[in-house]
Amino acid sequence: MVQIVVPGFLAAQADGRQRFDVEAETVGEAMRALPVADLLFNERGEWSRHLNVFVDGKDARELGGPACPLAGAREVLVIAMLSGG
Amino acid sequence: MAAGVLALVGTRKGLFVLWGDDERRSWEVEGPLLDGWGIYHATVDARDGTFYAAANHLVYGPTVQRSADGGKTWERSKKIGLPESSGLTVNAAWHIEPGLPQEPGTLYLGADPGVLFRSDDAGETWEPNRGILEHATRDHWFPGAGGLCCDSIQLDPGDPQRMYVCIASAGTLRSDDGGQTWLPVNKNVATDYLPNPYPGIGQCVHKLLLHPARPERLWQQNHFGVYRSDDCGDSWERLDQNGLPSSFGFPIMIDPADPDTAFVIPERSHEYHYSPNGRFAVYRTRDGGHTWEEMSDGLPRPAWAAVLREASASDSDSLYFGTQSGSFFALAGGDTWVEATRHLPPVLSVEVTQWSR
Repeated sequence: MVQIVVPGFLAAQADGRQRFDVEAETVGEAMRALPVADLLFNERGEWSRHLNVFVDGKDARELGGPACPLAGAREVLVIAMLSGG
Repeated sequence: MAAGVLALVGTRKGLFVLWGDDERRSWEVEGPLLDGWGIYHATVDARDGTFYAAANHLVYGPTVQRSADGGKTWERSKKIGLPESSGLTVNAAWHIEPGLPQEPGTLYLGADPGVLFRSDDAGETWEPNRGILEHATRDHWFPGAGGLCCDSIQLDPGDPQRMYVCIASAGTLRSDDGGQTWLPVNKNVATDYLPNPYPGIGQCVHKLLLHPARPERLWQQNHFGVYRSDDCGDSWERLDQNGLPSSFGFPIMIDPADPDTAFVIPERSHEYHYSPNGRFAVYRTRDGGHTWEEMSDGLPRPAWAAVLREASASDSDSLYFGTQSGSFFALAGGDTWVEATRHLPPVLSVEVTQWSR
């Protein structure tokens, strides 16, 4: 079981819920189980380039992206990049 | 019973609902709804009162939001996507057009990269139009500063098989067979940014409107000029050289009761997107574009305003538009502009409907 934490903007799209406990083998599988999955992936299953994902503090992009394994992981942080106006 | 007009004002940071009285002089502002979303367009489906919003976010991408309770709660469409074989992905949701009264549940969505979607389940799911997606001229389309946007969708109320879309920069395309095939209709429409100034495809239409009482009549504000067609787009007459201070602008409005009347908001040029010489004004023609008159009573002067392509609307009683500096204006008493509110985030879109309670 891993806990996913999403930003406040996404929580507003999920009835105010910011934390989700999910059973999944990969970070992509875990994120696809969220009620806001449609906002996290494009139609090719890719993450937005403005989205950062950390698995127990490590950048998931450097660990395989959506295929990053979650074995033993406790927390997935989804964070919007510091960009925009 | 009180009655008036309800304006859905899409902004870069959310949707505002403005309630205007019957005279369009007194307004109440509610919002932001869909807080933080860039609302490129929002509309009310006259068939059942549902609100639809083409919503975009830098991080979370494009979606369609819909509300069956007047904006209190919202539901997103299922993921909007293009087939992998196209090599394209959806960059932005631009415009939502409810279908004709005889096709309940059908809606159209214009999106970047120059694509049209159709929904037959009230916006739950969307299917791309293959005729547009696989159009033989697509290699000759190119995006403007706002992307390869599809922002004008017009349905012929007298012929359910006929519809129009505009893509910047591809131009106007017409279908006479319910969206199966699409014919570019851009004859005599200028493209001063191309070596050939009058190609068959590649025009930058900023806004196109069909007149509901005379559906063969179309009006368009183009990147280079204001045009009218009286033959479903087969030919176009250029009208901005008949007294407008500039050929450039984004929105266009019409009078639903008079096919000869239209309104534009000129900007200095394609290189300078603001009011010419600080003279912020709407211009009206009542004779099909042969002459234009300024309508500026109540507008600030000097002002360097910019009004985007979706940021105006009209009904049988008035005109409405919002500026990139966050002001919203309505025409009251036929000739005077009322600034209903100011300091909104930059206004991206305006649509209106009637209310009574």
